[in-house]
Amino acid sequence: MLRDFFLLAARSIAHRKMRSWLTIIGVFIGITAVVALISIGLGLEKTINDQVSEVFGVDSFVISPEGAFGPGGGHGSDTFAIDLDELRAIDGVKEAAAIRDETGFVEGLPDAEGETVKGFLSVMGLSPELLTEFPSFVGEVELEEGGREFTDTDEHVAILGSEIAERLNAPLGSMIEIEGIPFEVVGVFVTGEEDEPEQGGMMGFGASAGDDTVFVPYDVLFDLYGPAETVLVTLVRITEGADVDDVADRAETALNEQGAEIMAITYSDVSDMVGTMMSTISAFLAGIAGISLLVGGVGVMNTMFTSVLERTKEIGVMKAVGAKNSHVWIIFLIESGMMGLVGGAVGTLFGLGLSWIASMLLSRVFGIDIAVVASASLIVITLAGSFALGAIAGLWPARRASKLPVVDALRYE
Amino acid sequence: MPLLELQDVTKEYKLGKTTVRALRGLDLNVERGEIVGIMGPSGSGKSTLMHILGALDVPTGGLAKLEGTDVTSLSESQLVTVRGRRIGFVFQTFNLIQTLSAQMNVELPMIFQKVSRKDRASKAIALLERVGLGDRIHHRPNELSGGERQRVAVARALANDPEIILADEPTGNLDSESGASILGLLKELSKTDGKTIILVTHDPEAAEIADRIVRLKDGAVRKESAHA
Repeated sequence: MLRDFFLLAARSIAHRKMRSWLTIIGVFIGITAVVALISIGLGLEKTINDQVSEVFGVDSFVISPEGAFGPGGGHGSDTFAIDLDELRAIDGVKEAAAIRDETGFVEGLPDAEGETVKGFLSVMGLSPELLTEFPSFVGEVELEEGGREFTDTDEHVAILGSEIAERLNAPLGSMIEIEGIPFEVVGVFVTGEEDEPEQGGMMGFGASAGDDTVFVPYDVLFDLYGPAETVLVTLVRITEGADVDDVADRAETALNEQGAEIMAITYSDVSDMVGTMMSTISAFLAGIAGISLLVGGVGVMNTMFTSVLERTKEIGVMKAVGAKNSHVWIIFLIESGMMGLVGGAVGTLFGLGLSWIASMLLSRVFGIDIAVVASASLIVITLAGSFALGAIAGLWPARRASKLPVVDALRYE
Repeated sequence: MPLLELQDVTKEYKLGKTTVRALRGLDLNVERGEIVGIMGPSGSGKSTLMHILGALDVPTGGLAKLEGTDVTSLSESQLVTVRGRRIGFVFQTFNLIQTLSAQMNVELPMIFQKVSRKDRASKAIALLERVGLGDRIHHRPNELSGGERQRVAVARALANDPEIILADEPTGNLDSESGASILGLLKELSKTDGKTIILVTHDPEAAEIADRIVRLKDGAVRKESAHA
């Protein structure tokens, strides 16, 4: 019998094509917005998580000034100091590397006229292990031919960004002075292609980054500037078999006990943060899309009221030939539910199409690859939800139809 | 026992602030198998009587019995069952569902009685063949002539094998030829199938097929006669 009711409802919808389609458009716009927002949101979250997990792996974490991430991020403590040897002594830590940023007075070689270029530049201290042990954080770095990375025994050597090497007139093998102390240039970074998608890893090195920065071994900065006050970030790799969150907790506790104000951030921390952020954004956007769904629902309700009025006589006939109130009620509910469902189906297709286009644009314009997430559960929930939306919008009109007194309905002209 | 028995039936309803007394103590018995014509001027209570005979409405006062059962004591859903199974309606304006084919229109009463799909289809086709529309089963009402539509309506009235056919001005919207053929059909249903037919009409020709005429005036039976 339910199947027949579906047929009756479908006939009625098809009979009023124009109005039905207009009503369905009202639903479909809302569903399109919801589906597009959700699938883009899920895709973005997945993309970010994938990238973060690629960088962190399962065996690394980052130590950063407290507050550098999350709300108010970037305004970390200035008194962040870490003794890497102490960090390495913590149980479970296999390798630790740090980046420290100072501004130093740098002087290049005299040119043909005997002029030298000098000035204040960003001088970064890199642990030698950084490039060898944590490539995923640093990204792809490429040195000009003949150059080399830092080794454990390096002291007064420097690697320059390509642009600054040119400006300082300091090619590979030449000498520059930092705070009056001579350094040998052992490497020059190759500048990446501008339009190449960023492969910079988390630190934003590689490719074009670091063009006007002078890099020296981490420990040398201690000789030049004393104990570290502004360590940007410290990377830690744990020994095999250790639990990354446990080690991170131990490191955080140990270092903070010594007065450092730091936090250890693992993959799961970042992933949680991304998840929280994305779900807040998604909830906000879904709320906006929800308003358009509400409008669509009111459209369905309006159409159903009109339909009940128009078909008053038909309702009377159905009741005269044996339809119970509940039968009439169900037929009208199915009718409004089906309008919701069709709107939902069309909206799902358009929404997925829209998010696909959005991901294409993002990848073309910004070089961000977002996988559109079109999970079966998203589709099923959307379709069920849109049927429910229609049916709920039809509750009141259907009730009115079912309560029409048969004699009055038959008399209706 | 008469099939239908009305005793001192009154029906009042409110129209705005005034109370309309549509039936004022009406008595009527209808025997199984007879064709009863109900005539009377507009406002005489014909339609109201029709509604009560068809279990579409219940009287305000008096008794209305179908095979001895007082329908005034039935719940709304019991009334639906009574009219769905025991009464078939033929209306002046046909009242077919425009979006459905002739066959589906005939199947409709059976859907509500939960008759299986297969039984329904064969019954509907047989009924349409019986009323001479075997070649029109897939046509929609707007593709049929007035006479054909009323034949579909008669077929629909027969769908659940009711004992009673209530025809409210069945020839009112038809030309005389189509009207005559519908009347012939109704008469045949009475003679060969033993259906009880109650025919509300203005049309003297329609009244001719009746075994007996009940004339109403001011909500009561004014006169009964054997023929028009």
